[in-house]
Amino acid sequence: MKKLSLLILLALNLSSCVVVREYEKVKLNDPDMALSDKKIKRFELNAQAYREAAAGANGGKTGGGCGCN
Amino acid sequence: MKKFIIVSLLLSGLTTMAQDSTSTYKKRVLETAEVDFLMSYYTQDGSNAAVSGGIGTEELTDITPTLVVSIPLNDDDVLTIDFGISAYTSASSSNVNPFDAGGPADPFVASSGASSGDVWGNLTGSYSHSSDDRNDIWSLKVSVSTEYDYFSVGVGGSYSKLFNEKNTELSISANVYIDSWSLIYPIEFRGSSGGDDEDDFNINNYTITGNPNYNPGFVPLDGKGRNSYSVGFGFSQILSERMQGSLALDLVKQEGQLSTPFQRVYFSDVADSFIENFHLGDDIERLPDTRFKVAIGGRLNYYINEIFVLRTYYRYYFDDWGINSHTASIEIPVKLSDKFTVYPTYRYYSQTAADYFAPYNQHLSTSQFYTSDYDLSNYAANQYGLGITYTDIFTKFRIWKLGLKSIDLKFDQYERDSGLMYSLISGGFYFVLD
Repeated sequence: MKKLSLLILLALNLSSCVVVREYEKVKLNDPDMALSDKKIKRFELNAQAYREAAAGANGGKTGGGCGCN
Repeated sequence: MKKFIIVSLLLSGLTTMAQDSTSTYKKRVLETAEVDFLMSYYTQDGSNAAVSGGIGTEELTDITPTLVVSIPLNDDDVLTIDFGISAYTSASSSNVNPFDAGGPADPFVASSGASSGDVWGNLTGSYSHSSDDRNDIWSLKVSVSTEYDYFSVGVGGSYSKLFNEKNTELSISANVYIDSWSLIYPIEFRGSSGGDDEDDFNINNYTITGNPNYNPGFVPLDGKGRNSYSVGFGFSQILSERMQGSLALDLVKQEGQLSTPFQRVYFSDVADSFIENFHLGDDIERLPDTRFKVAIGGRLNYYINEIFVLRTYYRYYFDDWGINSHTASIEIPVKLSDKFTVYPTYRYYSQTAADYFAPYNQHLSTSQFYTSDYDLSNYAANQYGLGITYTDIFTKFRIWKLGLKSIDLKFDQYERDSGLMYSLISGGFYFVLD
C-alpha cells in the first residue's frame, strides 16, 4: 500500500513536469488516441469476462451476471 | 529523508492541481442526441464443457442487438439509456438435461431441452454531470439484467477530477451488484433437491451401466444470492504532444453463491455410473462463498504520425482463489484516408488455475471445494483481430432525422491452448439526431 501511495504521488509529481496546452493537443485529440475503448469493444470485453477468470482494470464490468454459458 | 520526499512529492502534486483555475469557454458536453446501434455475433467451440464436468461440447452461438441513446439534458448533463439483449443457444447448457434428445445421451452431442437456449436482457440508465469548467464529472448508473435462471440489479457511481490544464485526470468509481440465482441442477440431481426446476425425469426408467448402484447423496445449495462490490481508481496523464497513458486499479469483493449450480463434477474415488454415453454426475461444482479480486492495468498510446497510432495495454490480476493472470494487447490504427481507418489488434492472455480446479474425473470426494470449469484452469490464449472504422464528419447519410456519424466493424479470433476457440463479429452504427 505504501508503494502504491508513493507511485501515485510520483505520478502526480511527474504530471507537473509536462503541460500540453489545449492548442497543442491536435494529435492527442485524434479519436484513435483516446484512452477509452471504442463502443463495440464492450462485446469483446464481455466475451473475455465470461471465458476468463481475470476481469477489471479495462473498462469492462467487474460484477453482475452469472457468466455461466 | 523518506518523509521529506513524500511531503515534497505531495506539495508538487498539489501545486499542479492548483494551476488549473483558468476559466474557459463552456462548450456543451454533448451537442446533440446520439443514437448507437450495436450488434455482435459470437460463436464458440471446445471440448471441455463445465456442465458435463470438463468433457463435452462447448458449442455456443450468441447474438446481441443493443441500442444506446444519449440525450443532452442541458449544457452540463447527459442521460444515457442502454438497452440490449443476448439471445444464445448453448450445446453445453443443453446437457443440464442430456436425456431429451432423439439419440443416445452424450456429452459431445447437444440436447434439445429448455436449457439449450435463453435470452438475456439488460437495461442500464446513467446520468452524468460536468462542472462549468469541465474539470469535475459526476456520474450515476443503475442497471437491471435478467435471464431464465439469473437476475441482477446494479448501482454505481463515479467521480473524475481533471487538473493541470486537463493534462491529468484522477477518478474513483464504485459499483454494487445484487444478483440472484434460480437453482437449476443437473437432471439426475433433481426430484427432492429443492431446486427451482423440478422435472418429470425418472432415473428408474433408464438402464445404468458401470456402477449400477448410483447414489450420489446430493446436498442442495443453501443460498441463491450473489453480491459483488467493486471500487476502482483511475489516473490518466498526457505525457507529451504525442503520448498519453493511464493506470487503473480495481478491487472487487464477491460473496454468496459463486459456483454455478448446473455444472457437474466427477470424483476419481467414486465408481462411475452411465446412462447411455453420459456419465452421471457425482456432485455439482462447489466453491467458496467469498472471492477477492485485484486488477491493475495500464495503457499507453503513442501518435506515430498522420497514418499510424500505437495503442498498448497491460493488466496484472490476482485473486484469493489462487489465480494470477497477465494480459497484454497492442493495436495499431492505420488511417487509409480521412474516412477509413483499419486497426489490426493482438491480445495475449494467461492465467494460472484456481486452487479448486481439476480436470474431468480427477477430484476427490473428500475435498471441500471443486470445479472442472476450464475457465478456471491454467491456460494461455491468443486473440487476433481486425477492425475498420468509417467516419463522416458531415453526416451526409441520413435515416429519418438521424445522420450517420461513423461505423465500426471488427472481427476477432480467440484461441486457447486448451482447445477452446471463439469468433466474434462486432458492429456499431453511430448516428446524431438533427
